[in-house]
Amino acid sequence: METVRPPALRTKTAGPFTVRVLANRRLSANAFELTLARPPRFYFTAGQRLRLEYAGAQRDYSIVSAPAETDLRLCIRRVEGGRLSARLAHAGADDPMMFTGPHGYFTFKPSAHPAVFVATGTGIAPFCAMAGAGVSGFTLLHGVETPADLYYRDFIQPRAAAYVACLSAGRPAEPAHYPGWVTDYLRNCLPPRACDFYLCGRQDMIRDATLLADERFPGSLVYTEIFY
Amino acid sequence: MKIYTGSGDRGKTSLFSGERVPKDSERIEAYGDLDELNSVIGVLIAGLPVDGGGLRPELHEIQSELFAIGAWLATAPGAPAAAALPPLDPDGAKGLERGIDRLDADLPPLAGFILPGGHPGAAWAHIARTVCRRTERRVVGLAAGVTEAAAAEQMKHAIVYLNRLSDYFFVLARHINRLQGIEERLWKR
Repeated sequence: METVRPPALRTKTAGPFTVRVLANRRLSANAFELTLARPPRFYFTAGQRLRLEYAGAQRDYSIVSAPAETDLRLCIRRVEGGRLSARLAHAGADDPMMFTGPHGYFTFKPSAHPAVFVATGTGIAPFCAMAGAGVSGFTLLHGVETPADLYYRDFIQPRAAAYVACLSAGRPAEPAHYPGWVTDYLRNCLPPRACDFYLCGRQDMIRDATLLADERFPGSLVYTEIFY
Repeated sequence: MKIYTGSGDRGKTSLFSGERVPKDSERIEAYGDLDELNSVIGVLIAGLPVDGGGLRPELHEIQSELFAIGAWLATAPGAPAAAALPPLDPDGAKGLERGIDRLDADLPPLAGFILPGGHPGAAWAHIARTVCRRTERRVVGLAAGVTEAAAAEQMKHAIVYLNRLSDYFFVLARHINRLQGIEERLWKR
């Protein structure tokens, strides 16, 4: 695995910034990518979040873009009946919104252990930022329902030593597809050894993968970012 | 928003630096006591006299510094995550000393052992002092096993800060009682 010296973690939250939507792109049936104009004095470390406020609601979203990019891209799951995501899904170009940031500590920390990135759904976002910032050679497990949900695959797969799409519903169509959850893959396929696990996604995945790390991968480090 | 994951249901927890450790480990005990101290300071702030004598901002600053210390306590020495942590302010204790000197300037000389109590804010300052001492003992014990240079340096700063902080709370208790016109009760055999 290639080691990249970690940049100094941005711990000072700035803002609120008022920004405009530059683009709103559909990624899959229930996910979309929102591109925001990046304020000139907004700095962050790959893997961190911003806190978006729009239409009277506020949520944290991991930044997909690498810190060197000029725009801020967010990968958002559309939650049926959600206070914010349902509105953001219809946000148009030039719509104003506010955010503060950066928030969080879910950043890449190089070590002698192999890095295993585990994402469910839009939990892929911080790993895109890390890969865009130069991290490579990691194992990535992306848990989704069907192959149609494997957004960002073209970008992140070439940067990974191993890319495994874990499909909970769709039929595997190629060797890189694993039929089952990411935790099934961790339990049954990933060789047991000390790893650095980066877990980003649903609470039940975080819980099960952490307990698996305790049982099957002793000596591992576990970093987590929960998507609610 | 959910704040639980359930990943600690089997008695282990994750350090900031990613290690999975038993919840009764020395490091968890240390930052658990620090967390308790910070919470007691919250009660102390809530129990201050209405005007507070300008103490609230100073106490909020102390609470923030305790969070910074907590991040180091929650990080295993030499862990990759340590590289991302801002170092503790080596002069943090100096700020406390200035506060102690300012509060102490208007106090009568100590005439003996003081019975903890008086105004509720002062009583909570005494509780904060004792929890601070316990935290300091925990951190001293933890630091004794730390050999990695960067972590040892941070532990050193934390111990100095906690040592001075308990003195600050002692003087603060006396200051609050004086502000409220409450006479100190001295220990009598």
